[in-house]
Amino acid sequence: MKLGVVKAYVLKELTEIIRSRLIIMVYLMPTMVLVLFGYGIRMEVTGARTLIIDNDQSHYSQLLVSKFEHSKYFDVTIEKRGEAKALDEIHKAKNDILIIIPESFEKRLLHGQTTQIGVFLDAAFPTRGSTMESYVKGVVLDAAGQMLERLAGNAPTISINQRTLFNQAMRDEDAIVPGLIGLVMLIAPAILAALLIVKEKERGTIFNFYASPVSKSEFIAAKLIPVFLLHSINIFILFLWATYLFEVPFRGSFLLYWLTSELYLVISLSIGMLISIITRTQIVAVVLTVIVTIIPGFLYSGILMPISSMVGVSRYEAHIFPVMYYNHILYDVFLVGEGLASSKTVTYIFILALYAFSMLTLGSFLLKKELR
Amino acid sequence: MKIFWAVVGKELLSFIRSWQLVFVVLYAFSFEVYIAGSGIELKPRNIAVGYIDASGGGLSQKFLSYFHAPEFLEPILFESQEKLSQAVFDKEIMVGLVFDDTFEQNFRKNHATTLHVLLDATAASQAFTALSYLQNIAINFTARTFPVELVTHKLFNENADNHTFMALTELLSIVTLLSVILTAVVFVKEKEEGTWDIMLLMPVNAKIIILAKSFSQVIIVMVGIVISVGFVIFGVFDTPINGSFFAFLLLSFLYAFTGAGIGLFIAAIAKDVMQVAQLSIVIMLPLIFLSGAWTPIYAMHPWLQTFSLISPLRYYIEGTESIFFRGTPFLELYPYFLGVTLVGSVVYAIGFRKIGRLF
Repeated sequence: MKLGVVKAYVLKELTEIIRSRLIIMVYLMPTMVLVLFGYGIRMEVTGARTLIIDNDQSHYSQLLVSKFEHSKYFDVTIEKRGEAKALDEIHKAKNDILIIIPESFEKRLLHGQTTQIGVFLDAAFPTRGSTMESYVKGVVLDAAGQMLERLAGNAPTISINQRTLFNQAMRDEDAIVPGLIGLVMLIAPAILAALLIVKEKERGTIFNFYASPVSKSEFIAAKLIPVFLLHSINIFILFLWATYLFEVPFRGSFLLYWLTSELYLVISLSIGMLISIITRTQIVAVVLTVIVTIIPGFLYSGILMPISSMVGVSRYEAHIFPVMYYNHILYDVFLVGEGLASSKTVTYIFILALYAFSMLTLGSFLLKKELR
Repeated sequence: MKIFWAVVGKELLSFIRSWQLVFVVLYAFSFEVYIAGSGIELKPRNIAVGYIDASGGGLSQKFLSYFHAPEFLEPILFESQEKLSQAVFDKEIMVGLVFDDTFEQNFRKNHATTLHVLLDATAASQAFTALSYLQNIAINFTARTFPVELVTHKLFNENADNHTFMALTELLSIVTLLSVILTAVVFVKEKEEGTWDIMLLMPVNAKIIILAKSFSQVIIVMVGIVISVGFVIFGVFDTPINGSFFAFLLLSFLYAFTGAGIGLFIAAIAKDVMQVAQLSIVIMLPLIFLSGAWTPIYAMHPWLQTFSLISPLRYYIEGTESIFFRGTPFLELYPYFLGVTLVGSVVYAIGFRKIGRLF
């Protein structure tokens, strides 16, 4: 590899990128995604619009109703217009939950007979449906505990003393923002790199490369170095957003964060480059990059669900995409702080390095320096 | 009219000729939707539980027997608290239970007893659900006499079936991505090659050409939707559709046109495909985000809620959910149709004017 050639080529590429106003996009896009999604994605359901029909109007039923009213998870309205009307509101997606407390609720409770509380909830959005169900259960169980104490006197009880690690406040930001960095650092560099070579193919300027004495590795290096440098700055920008704007704690070593991020950047760039090499037209390259980065990036980032909960094909797919390994390290440096002491982190860094190396090798292998 | 169909035919032909593009689009509409739908479960599953037991074993084993598949893996016994903490730190264990030596004694003596729990909360929602499972189990021990049953009816989607939902959301995102990018690129390619100016100067009505070109991309997307819904959503996942299929197609058609409108707008600003790629991501991500696909709209910031009114995807998603799950009758779907049409025609009109101008 002749450094002089690479340097000249890099300068040319850099000037082209800067001239094409893309430079704004390079920095605007990652920040925008992080801020929007960081503020926007909420896993917990707060203020679920709840209708309660209290047919009993007794002491215990009102105790239960007030439990719901005092929870931040529910936005309670006492429904007086009747069941049919309330159900209709849910059908029109105007309300989410309907809770019906039956007549003689208290009487049956005190006599130890079984009563049923009816809960209707909108599960068109399944996660939200299940989450709301578990909240309703939680409130009823909580109320049950109190009622039992009065009813039963001193029966044995088990109380749960939980200590949540790494994310004590259970803040959604802490759980989501580090994952988003992994997502952004996959999409943005890949899309930028995906067009670099195929653009020349479509315009015909690739023949300059075919005819010139520039070698394949020099060509790839010259194409990747400018975008690599431009995006390296994003590693710091995203870090600042995460720690200052979203106030995510940072417990690990910054050096580890920085170096693995650079490594990951090489991977996402080489994914884009590989796409650029195998496709013939720019449109195919764009659509392909979007499909192989955005969607799997989101699904396998660990934001929506831990990888350990996946089954079947997606479990294997998750292990194929690099985002899973990088995000493990990201969550580690932000929230856990184990660093290199944990053998899992070391293994994952090794896998990432292997990944980067094989992508680059595959790229230079597939790149043809002649007319097909 | 003849010109219109000629242009549509030409665009479809050049689409089919690029086998790579056909392949990628087909892949997106079939396998991508399938993968998203088949494997992604948002409910907690295979939660790894670890415990240490100093209590002697009777009650704790009974407690542990409540952890069963598919939500939980078989609980693993650890020798010491350090080993358990280490496993939680390595993220091999999500829930760590500590039964201390007083756990069973206190319970047998009718005292209140405490179970210590270590919870990995990096995945906050899963941790929350795991916690409510735990509380549920604890109540089961204490409150065998508590006579209240909770009868939950999950409306519209009985089993809270994630497969269909994820597959549908995936399909709608793909429709958005493709209708925007395909349309934008069709125009920008002509701009890049310089043939667009010539096209506008020719004595054919430019409006017809723009309309025909975007219509051809809408057709491609519509074919993709039919394939995807037919083979994946109905075929593989066997989803019931509670509303009218025709209404869904009509809504998709209107929405694809809106997407084409956004594509026109992007094509008017962008100079080359590279800019299209970047611009469309920058424009589409907020659209997808504001649609309520990831987070319910009423849970957003008030000003974001107002903002979300302009996301056409919002109406499309809500409309599709209503058609598939709620089975809302055709006439009551009018807000969604109105929303998509209104936003769509405004966006399309802007894009249409911008791309049709010569300089």
